[in-house]
Amino acid sequence: MVISPVHYIVAPLLAAFAIPLLSKIYKDAARVVPGIVLFYNVIISFVLMKQVLKQGMINEVIAGWQPPWGINLVLTPFTGFLAAMISVMGFIIWLYGFRFKRTLKGGVVKYYEILQMMMIAGSIGVIITGDLFNMFVFIEIVGITAYSLTAFYRDRNGAEAGFKYLLLGSLASTFLLLAILLIYTQTGTLNMAQIAERMPEVSSGIKITALVFFLIALGIEAEMFPLNGWAPDAYEQAPSPTSATFAAVVSIAGVYALVRILFTLFDVAGVHQYLIVMGFVTMLVAEIAAVSQKNLKRMLAYSSIGQVGLVLIAFGVGSPLAVFGALFLMLNHAVIKSLLFMTGSYFIYNSGEKRLEGLNGMHKRLPYVSALFSLAAFAIIGFPPFSGFWSKFYILIAASDQKMIFLIIGILLVTIIELVYYLRSVGRIYFAKEEMQDIAHKPSVNALIAMSFLALFIIIIGIYPDIITGYINQAAAALLDKTHYVQQILGSK
Amino acid sequence: MKRYIIFLFIAVLGWTLAQTFRAIPFGADRRGNLDQPDRVAAFYLKESPETLQTANSITAIVVNFRGFDTLGEVTVLFLAATGLASILYRKEEDDETEERITLISSSLVRTGAKILFPLILLLGIYVFIHGHLTPGGGFQGGAIIATGFLLMLITYKRFDTNHNLMVWLESLAGLAFVATGLYGLFTYGSFLQNTHSVGTLNDLISGGLIPLIYIFIGIKVGTELTNILDILLKIKPGKQS
Repeated sequence: MVISPVHYIVAPLLAAFAIPLLSKIYKDAARVVPGIVLFYNVIISFVLMKQVLKQGMINEVIAGWQPPWGINLVLTPFTGFLAAMISVMGFIIWLYGFRFKRTLKGGVVKYYEILQMMMIAGSIGVIITGDLFNMFVFIEIVGITAYSLTAFYRDRNGAEAGFKYLLLGSLASTFLLLAILLIYTQTGTLNMAQIAERMPEVSSGIKITALVFFLIALGIEAEMFPLNGWAPDAYEQAPSPTSATFAAVVSIAGVYALVRILFTLFDVAGVHQYLIVMGFVTMLVAEIAAVSQKNLKRMLAYSSIGQVGLVLIAFGVGSPLAVFGALFLMLNHAVIKSLLFMTGSYFIYNSGEKRLEGLNGMHKRLPYVSALFSLAAFAIIGFPPFSGFWSKFYILIAASDQKMIFLIIGILLVTIIELVYYLRSVGRIYFAKEEMQDIAHKPSVNALIAMSFLALFIIIIGIYPDIITGYINQAAAALLDKTHYVQQILGSK
Repeated sequence: MKRYIIFLFIAVLGWTLAQTFRAIPFGADRRGNLDQPDRVAAFYLKESPETLQTANSITAIVVNFRGFDTLGEVTVLFLAATGLASILYRKEEDDETEERITLISSSLVRTGAKILFPLILLLGIYVFIHGHLTPGGGFQGGAIIATGFLLMLITYKRFDTNHNLMVWLESLAGLAFVATGLYGLFTYGSFLQNTHSVGTLNDLISGGLIPLIYIFIGIKVGTELTNILDILLKIKPGKQS
């Protein structure tokens, strides 16, 4: 059997449809099967990535119709890298949440696992598809799962957060559909490569309107200011493995969609400056909001939005080095932020306190988890021996190459803000006085393995970034080389 | 004052949008050259009767040319049902019986529903089996079937949809859809690819795998929508006020 990109989607779909049946036969099927599927995705991403790097882009055709006519899946070094990253993070988050809600009776766990798995599969679909409408379908899949997982706890706040997300998400879908419709009426095609080819012929009025619609729709998905009102609530109310998935998987897919459409489809001048400005505002507002948060998960959520802002800035700078930095930061953000959510959720579990006060003196009760949390906090601020340092470093170098002095000052200032609230949390863990409670919920073995793996990754990449930079470099080059993308896809007909 | 500014803003925005959409000619023939297609629409119109032998080109587009999207949409519906169930599930320790928000219907309605129910099901099945020949298809047929069940659910308080059977049907239909896709992948090397023996245009058995896939979609959509209705109509007794 030849492995091809469509397996990324088919394997989770088969599992999702089969889980209701399998769990009638074997009670724990709903827990185990997603793990097998996600692990399979990890394997195929490594096999395919190797193939892509050796032989160039994979362009898989669906239903036997060549690209402009049918749907195609495209694996370039860029999309392959992101798909591999999401698969690995998806598997680790599954491992972390393996024993999640094992006390709940009935079919609830089944629903949770199906939704969680399909959220990851949908995000991979957004990334590997080469068709604009197919991307919309996958964004819908991610959206539907994300709304229901946000409201999974069925309390008042969860329902509110889920409903808010649902409203904004539906708005995003509407605008996305309108934008696709406008593009389709003008170019007569939905294939992204062919749209890119025909875009110069489209009249500028329609082009601008479509672009604005895309920016509104994907700005909501990518958590861009001022369209990110749903994000802090959703991150806070969702179950912790889901919050980690929002940070490590869903936001990555959102940013990918935005970048793909701006970089490949449109040739409008000024988009890059817009990305820099919006990214900067997003980052600044989010980080300032993060300082004043009293709730741990909410603070982490705002920090996530801030990171996405920085990614958008780096894409906006647009030079190869900046795009390299942006991709590196996406990887770091996925790894570090999910580690923060994973450890943070154990603090909440132990103290029964969602506010920051719950962290007080936590190192005595959970020494190992506290160490991991601190490591992740230092890494995300960008302290040198950790991986977070390199991505920020490269983005700053890229900005200085373009002589964007104010941008550098701004990023460094925001780093100080980050320093304030992360060190404050770490300080609470190690130096604040403990209120004696001795219900210690030790982390389960699978969660420990998942968290340790992420921590190890942060340290190894921090000390020796060359392991990964080669891949990221090729990924960045693949994104920027639009002509090659168009020729490869349309040339193969 | 603020309100007028907002109105003005919306008016300007609406005018700009209207201008954009006016640039798209309404009702014009936009297919282009059917023999040398350069827009996908022309290609689809040309290929669905020729290569696929499918009389209803919309079905050919939905199930074959863009079948992957349809698989995605079926998944969206499946996930919506799953998500709804995850939010509205009943804990098992609640052993109170569930009831439906249904008022007692008159005997006229009850008799009428009983007569109409099999006819509605028959119409739904007809619509999805003939999806490749006449207007309609899996989604429409499935929705018609679900309306039949809705009629029964609101007429009879004790009408039972046999949840177990529904789960089996729904899962098997979904799996069969994906399996049909995999058949194409293994036989011809492309996921969801149609067989080469497509029959002749306008026959009941034509279009290769297209009618088969639409039948799976019809069953899946019908059971899923019925499940959603069932979940939404159920309440714990004593809570309706």
